[in-house]
Amino acid sequence: MKKLLSAILAVLMIVSLAGCTKPVEPTQEEGKVLNLWTWNEEFWGFLVKYYADEKIDEYTVKKGDVTIKRTTYVSDNMAYQNALDAALLAQETAAADEKVDMFLAEADYIIKYTNSDVTMDVSKIGVTDFSNTYKYTVEAASDANGVVKGVSFQCCPSALIYRRSIAKDVLGTDDPAEVQAKLNSWEMFDAVAAEAKAKGYYMVPTPLETYRTFSNNTTSAWVVDGKLNFDSAILNWMDQAEKYMAEGYAPGAYGIWDGEKNDQMFASGKTMCFFGPAWYFNFCMGNAQDPDKGCKGDWAICQGPQAHFWGGTWMLAATGTDNPKTVADIMNTFINNEEVVEKLVRNEAQFSNNQVVNNKLAADASYGSEFLGGQNDVAVFAELAKNIKFQNITPYDQGCNEGIQTYVREWLNGQVTKDQAIANFKDYLKNVYPGITVE
Amino acid sequence: MDKSRKKEKKKSISYAKWGYYFIIPFFIVYAIFTLYPQILTIYNSFFEYYRDGLNIIGPRFVGLGNYAKLFETNTAGYVPIVRYTMNTAILWVIGAVPQFLVAMLLALFFTSTRLNIRGQQFFKTVIYMPNLIMASAFSMLFFTMFSQVGPINQLLISWGVVDKAINFLAIKISVRSLIALMNFLMWFGNTTILLMAGIQGIDEALFESARLDGSSSTQVFFHITMPLLMPIFIYVFITSMIGGIQMFDVPQVLTNGKGTPDNTSTTLIMYLNNFLGLSKNYGMAGALSVLLFIMTAILSSFVFKTIRKK
Repeated sequence: MKKLLSAILAVLMIVSLAGCTKPVEPTQEEGKVLNLWTWNEEFWGFLVKYYADEKIDEYTVKKGDVTIKRTTYVSDNMAYQNALDAALLAQETAAADEKVDMFLAEADYIIKYTNSDVTMDVSKIGVTDFSNTYKYTVEAASDANGVVKGVSFQCCPSALIYRRSIAKDVLGTDDPAEVQAKLNSWEMFDAVAAEAKAKGYYMVPTPLETYRTFSNNTTSAWVVDGKLNFDSAILNWMDQAEKYMAEGYAPGAYGIWDGEKNDQMFASGKTMCFFGPAWYFNFCMGNAQDPDKGCKGDWAICQGPQAHFWGGTWMLAATGTDNPKTVADIMNTFINNEEVVEKLVRNEAQFSNNQVVNNKLAADASYGSEFLGGQNDVAVFAELAKNIKFQNITPYDQGCNEGIQTYVREWLNGQVTKDQAIANFKDYLKNVYPGITVE
Repeated sequence: MDKSRKKEKKKSISYAKWGYYFIIPFFIVYAIFTLYPQILTIYNSFFEYYRDGLNIIGPRFVGLGNYAKLFETNTAGYVPIVRYTMNTAILWVIGAVPQFLVAMLLALFFTSTRLNIRGQQFFKTVIYMPNLIMASAFSMLFFTMFSQVGPINQLLISWGVVDKAINFLAIKISVRSLIALMNFLMWFGNTTILLMAGIQGIDEALFESARLDGSSSTQVFFHITMPLLMPIFIYVFITSMIGGIQMFDVPQVLTNGKGTPDNTSTTLIMYLNNFLGLSKNYGMAGALSVLLFIMTAILSSFVFKTIRKK
């Protein structure tokens, strides 16, 4: 028995020793493999089309001698952050070709990474020219001391996306300027919602659709001095959601990514208004673009009741990367290579992060989006981009934004009372973020 | 010289050590992958230890603080662990009871020499099939089928059963039923096969003599099959119960990790998973795991003893 015990102990010791291999010294030469972490395929698609030399498979491309590999986790339930955190914290001991070299981050949690040592100063690897980008995109990617840790290839002012045919029926016009004039405030929006309902339409596909317009116009952050804080804008949104459900201005309290909501984008849909930035209508409105059941061209955009932005994807340079040159090259390409950026706008309906290109296309009378019935969306977004303020941001925003929508939905569906929904939301946050105080 | 040789010979005759050698691999694997993590879990449960963003907080010794926290009333006015234990128990019972009944019935049919069902091999394969599908894929399938624009609602509407789509995933009873149904479908085949093996292990002569003595099928079942099947039945019952306590993937995927509606389908392991998400809260998760371990141990020994006594 003693022998048995000593054998077990010996094995345990060997195993624990094996865990402490020496960290690999960073090489001066450019590494063979660049690992890029993403939570969807949007940016990857652009990288394959406009940057890579050769596509090997769905997860690998080649650029010169460097192989670029993609690792993707879904964003839901913070699965992406979860996996990414583990990889970044193990960065020091990872082999050179296994290290995270560059990763994408979203507005809801970018601050968590920029304010940490896991990201590096991109000016040190050769990304220095931000003169053409929108100021907020640089601020968002900077740490508390103003050190820039990454760049974004897009600028994300969010617009009101409406169905022209329904607008004509309800408002008597589908002209963006006239529609804007009739939907210039939430009071006007509510009034039009009642008119739309009278004609058998829905104003929004779900009360959750307007969440970002409110959450992006808060005057205080979700967490203030380590304490959970409900801004009045969030409470206003809850009131609106309750009203819209009660009045039947929305077909149901669907989640913003639910199939039920997306079905409203088909030609057969009865919903007039959606909200989203450029990435939304090219990346998330597939149903509307459907050749058979869709309604391409029956859409247009205007500012809507309140200016706001939604999301945005930033590329951040990971500390310890062995591919600094390629990382810098990718970043510079997607913000400063005007040829590539123009293709992003023309072919991919992106609103780019290069003001020169955007202004050029905004002024180009011949440019128009087919999806939007020929409307020059770049001109609209260029105007809206001026209003973006990146403020009241905390590292806890994804959990707060995702959580409040989930639990408010239960209330809107009549499963719980409003108080219960808020209590459930608080309990959820308490479990996911033990670091914040929830009264 | 002679003496020592004799001694050596005697020693080499003992084969006992080979027995130990052969079981060493199991104990090594057990020690590394089960015992060591288990001890670590218990150890961690006494510490405040989690991640806030990318910063690691702790470890700071808090004694039984984490355990006390688990029994605190939450903001929604209930003690989470109590509610989630009830959820888990309900979800297991409504799935397992029909599962045992159906499995027992099928096992009896398949093994009955009087019925002698043809194509047994085929049916056995078919009923075992659902178990081969990954639970999360199965759950995803149900999620799509029962969504408001899914085929079930479309059928119900086109048949005129309902005039507006039912939001199955927002109603307590339907969410729970769906979870139970999935667990039932996935596991009844497995249980059937285990019970069949048990019944086939019973001496056929006993059944024959009982029949010759004129006993009815019910009498045979309660006085011969059931008592002799007990050891296998206990095994199946306890494994099913432990599986029930660990219920996770089906409700997690069906409700997108939120145990909707109103946390009425949140199971204990889903609760555990919340702690282990972004915050990697080893302290709280450890405390919860230790409680689960104790709960499982008590329930198992309780079931074992009561069924054994009879």
